[in-house]
Amino acid sequence: MAAPKVAARKPAAAKKTAAKRPARRAATKPMTKPAQGAKKKAAKPVGQSRIKTNIKALARNLDKAAQEARPIEQISATTPISLDQAYQIQKEAIALRMLRREQRAGIKMGFTSRAKIAQMGIGDLIWGRLTDGMIIEEGAPIDFSTYIHPRVEPEIAFLLKRPLSGRITPMQAMEAVEAIAPALEIIDSRYSNFKFSLEDVVADNASSSGFVTGPWQIPDFDFGNLGLVLSFNGKPVQIGSTAAIMGHPLRSLIAAARFAGEAGEPLMPGWIVMAGGATAAEPLVAGQYVELEMENMGRVAFGVSS
Amino acid sequence: MTSGNLSGNGAGSTIDQSVIEDLAARLRQAEATGVAIAPIRDGLAGGGVQAAYAVQSANTAWHVANGRRIVGRKIGLTAKAVQAQLGVDSPDFGMLFADMEVADGEEIAQSRLMQPRVEAEISLVLGRDLTQEQLGITEVMSAIEYALPSIEIVGSRIENWNIRLLDTVADNASSGLFVLGGRPVKIDAFDWRLCGMVMERRGEQISLGAGAACLGNPLNAALWLARTMVEAGAPLRAGDIIMTGALGPMAIAAPGDVIEARINGLGSVRAVFGNE
Repeated sequence: MAAPKVAARKPAAAKKTAAKRPARRAATKPMTKPAQGAKKKAAKPVGQSRIKTNIKALARNLDKAAQEARPIEQISATTPISLDQAYQIQKEAIALRMLRREQRAGIKMGFTSRAKIAQMGIGDLIWGRLTDGMIIEEGAPIDFSTYIHPRVEPEIAFLLKRPLSGRITPMQAMEAVEAIAPALEIIDSRYSNFKFSLEDVVADNASSSGFVTGPWQIPDFDFGNLGLVLSFNGKPVQIGSTAAIMGHPLRSLIAAARFAGEAGEPLMPGWIVMAGGATAAEPLVAGQYVELEMENMGRVAFGVSS
Repeated sequence: MTSGNLSGNGAGSTIDQSVIEDLAARLRQAEATGVAIAPIRDGLAGGGVQAAYAVQSANTAWHVANGRRIVGRKIGLTAKAVQAQLGVDSPDFGMLFADMEVADGEEIAQSRLMQPRVEAEISLVLGRDLTQEQLGITEVMSAIEYALPSIEIVGSRIENWNIRLLDTVADNASSGLFVLGGRPVKIDAFDWRLCGMVMERRGEQISLGAGAACLGNPLNAALWLARTMVEAGAPLRAGDIIMTGALGPMAIAAPGDVIEARINGLGSVRAVFGNE
């Protein structure tokens, strides 16, 4: 794989060793300040402390499920939660990663394509938080035993050079983009059988587990309809176009800025925005070689160890 | 221009010629009346795909005798998913007649359609004949004058698209009409394998894909066709249009729809369906 064309601001650009459990390793180099908390999370006055306790406990359960690669029952099966509470759980679970010295690396968008909506039956845009502990080295193997039931999906990643927050124009979005890259995201729902409600999946950080980015390109061409081929062991399993991501991936970046603004966590220079799956996700199995080729963008790959 | 007669060698077909002629006439009747017929595969089972092509050829000969002009071929069954669905591992082909062509943006009357569906494809036009035995990919590439974005409006004379391989081959590979884009593009000006494709109806995405969805690369489909036509004794000629096969799933076209296909590096093309 060619070296990134634009590497200066790449988060955690230092080579990671092929750690056994890349997604769970503590980061060694702080990159940004831990995100400041949102101030507007006013829970219902009655029973506030009990809900708070629940939120922390639910976050711990999800974090433990991820660390131990053991699925849990979906929250909504026993505990009704609101979307707002689901995002609080997500935030608490990420805070637990921060305690293990992981650092924020960006944001991921979910349910941005019709194929994903059809696959999961969920039609609202969602977002999750990325940390440097989720970064997978390009070309390196992942350890299959550290996942529950991982799937992979082809995406496009944005690398930011300016902060973005709130309602922004396409021009402001474009101006903040340092580079774009073909990317693969590994999603691994912490819920049994990959079954969840919208609130469940939001609490579970949008199923985020790991991501790997390919060569960075200066976005001086239209990336709104780039063909892509996702292959397992050289055989195509998904063929599509970046147009699947909300019609144009830049729209996903604009939505990410809006979500980040609402959460009081502006997108920061050096962060990555994973724009969302361009096709349905494909289940991973041990021993696979996973590769994404994208028109004008090169390729990105990783292996799955048995 | 050639007739694409694949039944020339005749051997192996155990179906009586009168049966072939009868099935061909039923398909013509369906097309003329607009009333789809029951699947015909049972009547062809004894003769296999060769018998199905014999039906197609009988109709091609009939149409040519009645004044229709052949302008090229369409390649079908180029998607892995469709091949799996029909239990085949090879594409098929049908004839393109001049009267099947619709201009980019020209309104299409419903009377010209039978159970229409749309597919976005790369079409190519040959600048020279491909008559050699044992053709290779470089000979095909050298023969291509230019490529165009295109929409194939497939149709079926078989009720409810209840087709298997023999039905669609006999039914001229379920062809209908076709729309070609207006900007010729040289063979080296775009990525045949990785070009992105999106097809929309009023901004709503109805099909997504890329060049690789067509037999790994649309040029592979073109090579298959060129070889097949040489073997059939009806080689492709300079000026022939080849519709290489869908770059994404087919979508239903309803009255009043305006459907646009965009292929990265090739531009766009529109199929406009009238309300009546």
